Amino acid sequence: MQRRSFLTGSVALAVLSLTATARAATRDEAAAKVLSSWYRLALELVRHTATMTPPVASRALALLGVGAYEALVPDGRGLVTLAGQLNGLTTLPDRAPGQGYDTAVVLNGALETLVAALFSNTGPTGQRAMAAMTAKMAEQAAEGVAADVVAASRSVGAGLGAALLDWAATDGGAVIANQGFPMSWAPKGTPGEWVPTSKIALQQAPLLPDWGRNRPFAMPALTDMVALPCGIADPTPYSEDPGSAFHTEALEVYDTAKALTQDQTHIARFWSDDAMLTWTPPGHWVAILLQVAEERGLDLTARVEALARMGIGQADAFIACWAAKYRFNTVRPITYIQKVIDKAWTPLLNTPPFPEYPSGHSVQSAAGARVLTALFGPDYAFADQSPTPDGVPPRSFASFQAAADEAGISRLYGGIHFRPAIVEGAKLGACVGGFAVNLRTRA
Amino acid sequence: MKAHLILTLTLAAPALAEPQVPVFQDQTATSGIAHAYTGDWEFMVGGGVAAFDCSGDGLPELFFAGGTSPAALYRNQSTPGKLAFAPQVSGLEADRVTGAWPLDVDSDGVMDLVVLRSGEDLVMRGLGECQFQRANEAWGFDGGDLWSTAFAATWEPGATWPTLAVGSYIDRKEEAFPWGSCTENRLYRPKGQGFAAPLALKPAFCALSMLFTDWNLSGRPSLRVSNDREYYKGGTEQLWHLEAEPRLYGPDEGWKPLKIWGMGIASADVNGDLYPDYYLTSMADQKLQTLADGPGKAQFKDVAFGLGATAHRPYVGGDARPSTGWHAELQDVNDDGYVDLYVVKGNVSAMPDFAKDDPNNLLLGGDTGFTEAGDRAGVASMRQGRGGSVVDLDGDGRLDLVAANRNAGAEVWRNTGSDTAGAPLGHWLMLAPQAPGANRDAVGGWIEVRVGERVQRRELTVGGGQGGGQIGWRHFGLGAAEAAEVRVIWPDGTQGAWQSLAADGFYHLPKGDPAIKR
Repeated sequence: MQRRSFLTGSVALAVLSLTATARAATRDEAAAKVLSSWYRLALELVRHTATMTPPVASRALALLGVGAYEALVPDGRGLVTLAGQLNGLTTLPDRAPGQGYDTAVVLNGALETLVAALFSNTGPTGQRAMAAMTAKMAEQAAEGVAADVVAASRSVGAGLGAALLDWAATDGGAVIANQGFPMSWAPKGTPGEWVPTSKIALQQAPLLPDWGRNRPFAMPALTDMVALPCGIADPTPYSEDPGSAFHTEALEVYDTAKALTQDQTHIARFWSDDAMLTWTPPGHWVAILLQVAEERGLDLTARVEALARMGIGQADAFIACWAAKYRFNTVRPITYIQKVIDKAWTPLLNTPPFPEYPSGHSVQSAAGARVLTALFGPDYAFADQSPTPDGVPPRSFASFQAAADEAGISRLYGGIHFRPAIVEGAKLGACVGGFAVNLRTRA
Repeated sequence: MKAHLILTLTLAAPALAEPQVPVFQDQTATSGIAHAYTGDWEFMVGGGVAAFDCSGDGLPELFFAGGTSPAALYRNQSTPGKLAFAPQVSGLEADRVTGAWPLDVDSDGVMDLVVLRSGEDLVMRGLGECQFQRANEAWGFDGGDLWSTAFAATWEPGATWPTLAVGSYIDRKEEAFPWGSCTENRLYRPKGQGFAAPLALKPAFCALSMLFTDWNLSGRPSLRVSNDREYYKGGTEQLWHLEAEPRLYGPDEGWKPLKIWGMGIASADVNGDLYPDYYLTSMADQKLQTLADGPGKAQFKDVAFGLGATAHRPYVGGDARPSTGWHAELQDVNDDGYVDLYVVKGNVSAMPDFAKDDPNNLLLGGDTGFTEAGDRAGVASMRQGRGGSVVDLDGDGRLDLVAANRNAGAEVWRNTGSDTAGAPLGHWLMLAPQAPGANRDAVGGWIEVRVGERVQRRELTVGGGQGGGQIGWRHFGLGAAEAAEVRVIWPDGTQGAWQSLAADGFYHLPKGDPAIKR
């Protein structure tokens, strides 16, 4: 009888355990839906919010990634908090002991809070979309969850989001004036320095010249945009002399542009990632991650871990890149080629309104590839399905590194970068990405 | 531009380095007009004003879109020097109206009105004495049920009934992910004394302005469409061949993708090459396009920056954030022979990245491009502007200004001349072509005004702007010239005879007959 009773009890415990496991799985499914829905909206808001130039978008996506990750840390999944690992993030709010919390509702509370703040500048349609998403997700996340748990969980999630926003308020990127363009800009008149490349009035000053002074996430802080933690070679000395190294590099851009193949044109357009027309470069790499996570059936824990690493890697890549850009402040190909080689020349792509060296695409793509390679291996073949402008079809790659390499060279095909900016940028990005990869996320 | 400017010296003597700033008097409070375009998200665009004479007295009435408020027609009772309007019960008091354009659809000599809505569009037949009657069924017009936001009209060669283009915006039922949901644009072609079922112009990219225009003087108009990049995916500005099966101009014809927050189109010959140039309103920089490589290629270059016409941020008031442009018109408000530019500005709603206090622009054409004078002229309204009109409201030959505002009252300014006492600006002409039979207002034709060797040529169009347009007297500034030679190139290509007209008069220009002074 005692044995039977014991067995009955064991069965009951097992059933309870299985029920708890099944319920946890169900809640993870609900949380995964919350995660994917908010990220889908966030990528659209990146495209549709004027403040969201690529550096600013990278910061927003990093904060979202950290928020999603930290929302799950106290769940007993074996995740380690990033507080104490990320610059300036010392602690995050504790949860009340003995109170039950729901993963999906906590996550929703955090993402709702972060999206509302990070994309507060979006227009009336974005605001309407955020309101619709907030209402929909609140309802979906809370389905089947006791009201008191919903209230406590939402509060905890919102508190987490608010704490992260407080932390980010001092990173240097929280306030963006005039869409990131200084109200005035005085060139020094040095040969080879960046000068405006368009006839757009707003872009007669370069974008976010102080972004390199921002506090990085995982990368060591920079000092006056000079001491890059990974280092970068100096750009080729400026020269207008035929036969000089700089002139030769310019000729390569010029000659390549004049003989672009269909595939090269396709590559340039595929990776153009223009602000306000696409999800921008950091959004592109987040989209690649989301696609691969879906393909691989990543569980919720691994997804938030990956999103945090990717976001952090992208944000640090832009800080490092911008520090280098404004340290060297070099001229774009359109300026040089029109002055020295062919005054009627125009590149395939619109030249971005900031200095040339190093290539932003090369830095951040290399960082993205470093993160993804660490997560999925060096030979993960995939077809990038990210939406591209002008209906450019998807492109297939043998590895993340191959994708990053193509993103880099696309800027030469597009006529907006010289080769050293691509080569050296990729080295810088791979190094910066390492800081995100080396974060400790598992106990 | 330079050649044009040199030629202009013969016209506007003495040449002015700084354009004469006209003085505008705000007569809104006493005008009798009390109307606002109201509504939330669904009425963040549109909100135009149509100017046309429906009373037969030669003065333009004003019809305002109302959004969630009823649209309203104001009958013009102005006398020279005093703007006066009275609300007119007309049959046009529909709700959900986003814009309207006058057009004598049935060519009976009484102006009709095409009314765009967030909902079913309407064609309203003019009955005379500013009374209108729904004609959708009588004229076979399928008004659909979209968020309509752009309009243009023309008469295709040989047609006795107009072709209409109606552009639409977002699928208004999409809440969380409206981006990429641009709904179709429609082309209504004649079928007897009415319209055939509309033809979808695909792809559609959330049009906010359309204009039939003969950009290369081919004798056949094309359709320019200015699209809002905020909502399309893979979209661009568009130029359509108006053929049996309309087709888009492509790169092989010189057309280059341009992605802007396209909101309004204004057209006039700015650079003096006798081909129409196009001002495209947007957010931050506005665009001014001229032919890049002659009429053989549909290739345009943006010359706004060089000519000081970007109007990209407020020039007064202290709010330095980028601007949001809506309605634009190119007209000569100071009668010096240079076209000037009126741009109605206003934040979409409360977008923090863009100026809240965003003054309307009055950019005066001069010998080095355009000079901002909105504040000096007294028209730098900070209201949330949408539609507008540059039109002589009181019949004194000077162009007055109208602004239609969102969630704020419309405004009217009277042009008092070079000072408040009415001192003259330059000389001027007001001209109204009259064609027999169909297309009585000669839409698709041209008026040419010649002083010395210089010719001003203006295309007669219906469309463009933001949510509204006008038909009526066509104004030309003459500078110091006391007479000018005038002719009409009719829509069928017939060139009227040059005839000399004394300045400062209103003239009807009947086809085949001498001008008739009003």
